[in-house]
Amino acid sequence: MREYIPQISKLLNGVLDGLPFLLPEFILATTFLLSIFSGISKGQSKVTWWLSVTGIVAAGLAAVLQSSSPAAGPVFFEMILPDANGALLKVLIGFVCLLFCIFVYHNQPLRNHPKKMDDLLSVLLAVHIGLNLMAIAVNWLMVYITIEMVSIGSYVMVAYLSRDNKQSEAAVKYVLFGTVCSAIMLYGLSFFYGYTGSLSFVDARHLTGLLAMPAPVFMLATLLVLTGIGFKLSFVPFHFWSPDVYQGAPTPVTAFLSTAPKIGAIVLLGRFVLSWPQTLDTAIPRPLFYLLAVIAMASMLVGNLVAIRQNNMKRMMAYSSIGHTGFLVMIILADVERSFPILFFFLASYVIMNMGVFMLADYLEEKLGLTEISQYRGLGKSHPAVMVALTILMVSLIGLPPTAGFVAKLLTFSAVLTAYQAEADLVWLLLAVTGAITTVVALFFYFKIPLQAFLRSAAEQSEQKAPLNALLITAFLLCLLTVLFGIFPAVVLDLL
Amino acid sequence: MISLTHFLLVSALLFSTGLYAVLAKKNAILVLVGIELMINAAVLNLVAFGRYDGGLYGGQTFALFAIVLAAAAVAVALAIILNVYKHYKSINPDDINDLKD
Repeated sequence: MREYIPQISKLLNGVLDGLPFLLPEFILATTFLLSIFSGISKGQSKVTWWLSVTGIVAAGLAAVLQSSSPAAGPVFFEMILPDANGALLKVLIGFVCLLFCIFVYHNQPLRNHPKKMDDLLSVLLAVHIGLNLMAIAVNWLMVYITIEMVSIGSYVMVAYLSRDNKQSEAAVKYVLFGTVCSAIMLYGLSFFYGYTGSLSFVDARHLTGLLAMPAPVFMLATLLVLTGIGFKLSFVPFHFWSPDVYQGAPTPVTAFLSTAPKIGAIVLLGRFVLSWPQTLDTAIPRPLFYLLAVIAMASMLVGNLVAIRQNNMKRMMAYSSIGHTGFLVMIILADVERSFPILFFFLASYVIMNMGVFMLADYLEEKLGLTEISQYRGLGKSHPAVMVALTILMVSLIGLPPTAGFVAKLLTFSAVLTAYQAEADLVWLLLAVTGAITTVVALFFYFKIPLQAFLRSAAEQSEQKAPLNALLITAFLLCLLTVLFGIFPAVVLDLL
Repeated sequence: MISLTHFLLVSALLFSTGLYAVLAKKNAILVLVGIELMINAAVLNLVAFGRYDGGLYGGQTFALFAIVLAAAAVAVALAIILNVYKHYKSINPDDINDLKD
């Protein structure tokens, strides 16, 4: 023990130097503790809701401050790297959490639940902390902890209502699949640790150690680790849970799961892939690169082709989000220098589109009881504003101008083609072609909705007029944002 | 003399047993037992490798965190399984199959 005593002050200083960079997380942790106390009170009190919103906004502002004064290098003994990119992603994650709060507030099943929505908001805050840390993690220990933090919170969120068979089934499938994937990941990580003696993937010793590993062991360990990240991202072949969970979970939770954990997980994958320096002797190993390229192509193909057969709105969106994951992986691989602005723009537009679609879908489900796309027939006449907004969002999801989705896909394709010109590797061309083909395929299922709503007439004209509420207004604002970002993409791109 | 290889062999055996329990999926609780075996295999690996990590104890720290997080995940999983039993009166994953394409 005695030989460690001189080290203590150095270790303490290391901790103290890192603390200022965790300001957003401190705010969230305090809010989390307060929200537990405020949730005890009986009756329909809105204290917790306001508390959560204030906490999330304050944490977001702290993250904005952080983006202007990023850390020079990894802090907390190479656990986290609070750089400017990470701070911007924290803001985006905070934005998703804020939209989720608004969403929950207007969801009757969640509000009328005997446990109220207070506990759900506390869980949300905990997941928010996990996601924030995931966006800046550069150490496998941190990666594992954040993945588990987010996963355990998400299991509770999916199981929160458990009103009927389907909701409890979604939760049990999610929790079993998720814990198996994280156990497999942990086993893979133990090999990374064993062969390199280091857990930090910004550590040169770790990278050279990985390259020195025997090729079969390296591939096996990488596959095991990718299982855990793949579960969070739901790329092929770890996507089996997502359609069932998306369909069974309460709609606000589905909207959250399809966006926020994806931001965290893709950044994690990005930090791992981009941690390889671009010099030839330590570049990313080719087998790993090809593996990720195949995963990207398979995700785009499976997501978009299977979505055609779906009739349930939430199930279709699940496959659509698998397809978008393919694009995200493609961006990560494409252009190391320029990929962050593209990735951020893609994520921001994806968040806006998905949240908007789920808000409108929830509105239709709650007010009119419609869950299947074929039931949307004739809605264009009775609810024109809702259906026009949904159509604009669908246009954006396909990637047609003048929407944010178009700019995001355009930037992606140009990055991939630039990489093809630089390297002349056939795999780039294959990626670009797969992306283009699946975009065309996407036309068929996204346009089923406007087709049903505007071109088919309803069997009986329902005179049910649904009232305008804040949820609908938020969805319209998101819809406006997709068009705004589509026409003036510089609004977002200049931030970076 | 027990070497590192022996530890790795035992952990590989544990991992395979756990994976078999998960894939056979006769009962949701047994799946959880399988998951626990898989996590313990990883923990054994980490501690065994940690022996050669001079003075940093990265592996042992990781093992401690892994044990705690596994316990938390299993607690949530058990609660959810209890919930599903209320609706289905069964915890055989093959019976719980209302959601499909």
